[in-house]
Amino acid sequence: MQTRNVLVVGVGGQGVLLASNVLAAACLARGYDVKKSEVKGMAQRGGAVVSFVRYGQQVHSPLVERGRADLVLSLEWAEALRWAAYLRPGGVLAVDLVRILPPAAQLDHRTWQASYPAVEVERLRQAGWDVRPYEASRRAAELGDGRMANVVLLGAVSRELEFAAEEWERALREVLPQKVVEANLRAFHAGRQLPQAAVFPAEARRAAARAFRVEVTPSWCKGRGCGICVRVCPEEVLVFGPDDRVRAASPDRCTGCQLCQLLCPDFAVVVREEVAVG
Amino acid sequence: MIPDVRGYLREARMPHILCPGCGHGIVLGALLRAVHTLGIPQDRLAVVAGIGCSSRLAGYVDACTLHTTHGRALAFATGLKLARPELVVIVLTGDGDGLSIGGNHLIHAARRNVDLTCILFNNAVYGMTGGQVAPTTQPGWLASTAPYGHPEPAFDGCALVQGAGGTFVARSMAYDPLGLQSILTEALQHRGFSYVEVLTDCPVYFGRYNRLGEGPELLWSQKARFGEVGQMLQAKRFVTPDGTAPAGRVEGLRFGILHRSERPEFTRVCWSQVKQGGNP
Repeated sequence: MQTRNVLVVGVGGQGVLLASNVLAAACLARGYDVKKSEVKGMAQRGGAVVSFVRYGQQVHSPLVERGRADLVLSLEWAEALRWAAYLRPGGVLAVDLVRILPPAAQLDHRTWQASYPAVEVERLRQAGWDVRPYEASRRAAELGDGRMANVVLLGAVSRELEFAAEEWERALREVLPQKVVEANLRAFHAGRQLPQAAVFPAEARRAAARAFRVEVTPSWCKGRGCGICVRVCPEEVLVFGPDDRVRAASPDRCTGCQLCQLLCPDFAVVVREEVAVG
Repeated sequence: MIPDVRGYLREARMPHILCPGCGHGIVLGALLRAVHTLGIPQDRLAVVAGIGCSSRLAGYVDACTLHTTHGRALAFATGLKLARPELVVIVLTGDGDGLSIGGNHLIHAARRNVDLTCILFNNAVYGMTGGQVAPTTQPGWLASTAPYGHPEPAFDGCALVQGAGGTFVARSMAYDPLGLQSILTEALQHRGFSYVEVLTDCPVYFGRYNRLGEGPELLWSQKARFGEVGQMLQAKRFVTPDGTAPAGRVEGLRFGILHRSERPEFTRVCWSQVKQGGNP
């Protein structure tokens, strides 16, 4: 048997290591030689996490070379883009379409579509990879706990690997804490039934482009003596104008949290959503 | 999106009279959003107020409003509710107006269980008259009449009203406008006397005398001043209205919906007597 190369990737906290441990446990139960190596240093900061799993009759090195992976299991879209180049031609890229904004990109929430790579499944397919988008996080949330997205996605690709459903179940029971085993088995089987997301949902793209208008009524504003809205705005949209009243200096940065509106004692600030025409 | 409730204001009278950074307007905003959520028509909404900074707010609400004498808002409101039971009657009162000058009206409105929603703005100071101590000023705090620190213990308005027989008792703060809004929504739906005490801030007197800073600092400091509740807020475990949330307790104050019970409502009892052939 040829050695199989698998990458499990995602963002810190998504359960990358757990998913790869389940896979490794299934391999071990089969009597394969398994080697596993992971990079998780930035996991607690919401950074990238990767776990390499190689298994076969005899495995000499735990690392997968670029262009040699049979399967990349990605729990997040941007991480899928980061690791896609590790796939061999025709390799399978199973990706959860959840999008987690990296902390570095959070400096500018509103334009996150620009900071965050667009979801272009077709372009990856043109590169010769077998791209399979899934709504695993959404399915996991429907099952009661979004944290089970890793097991849902594992279920979705489980048919791709040579293990039978019972072997997966044994591996899950072995790796997971007792109290969450039943829920995760349900998630796993839901994943096995999960159809691929047909197209990337258009509404998600639209949601990223939401725009807000901050309206200040200067004659109602008590200005510098109050200053609650200026202090509370996380994006520093509001400033004091030359007349000491508040004005929205950079409304394009507004994320629509409406803290200014909620905490303005003078009803002087209202945040409205711009409705895109067409 | 949170709705814009300026349609409930008498916009011609704005801006309101309150000082820059005063928390009262935040409470009024939460109240108007609660009214908006419940869809109460403006001609069925009556806002009754006494004297004081908080009571001035009634004048800015575009509804049936009644600005009454000091401490007597609840007495006026009781009469109004008896005569016009179809109205939703809200009483805006301050800690001085409601607990000191009108303290007896408060306990008797609670005892009668009149179907009113009493919102008591607790800023721990008499703002309008120059920063004297209020019955809710905690011991040790400074005020114009307590330059060495207030020597007296404070009233716990919620405990007082619950003891007097109020059937809905809650406490919230201006720092948590959404939690306050949901508590007010519950209070407005309650049939019987509902009492919501809201901690607000007076930067001009309370904040200045106690060196707590201006409006924003004072508002932010609410979470610190009320320790355990502040920790809950910081941990994003907001004071929830269902009453099951662990209520914090610092300086003797508890937060959230503290008490809810059922008792015959005064207006209904009176009107059933009238209908049973008294001589109205």
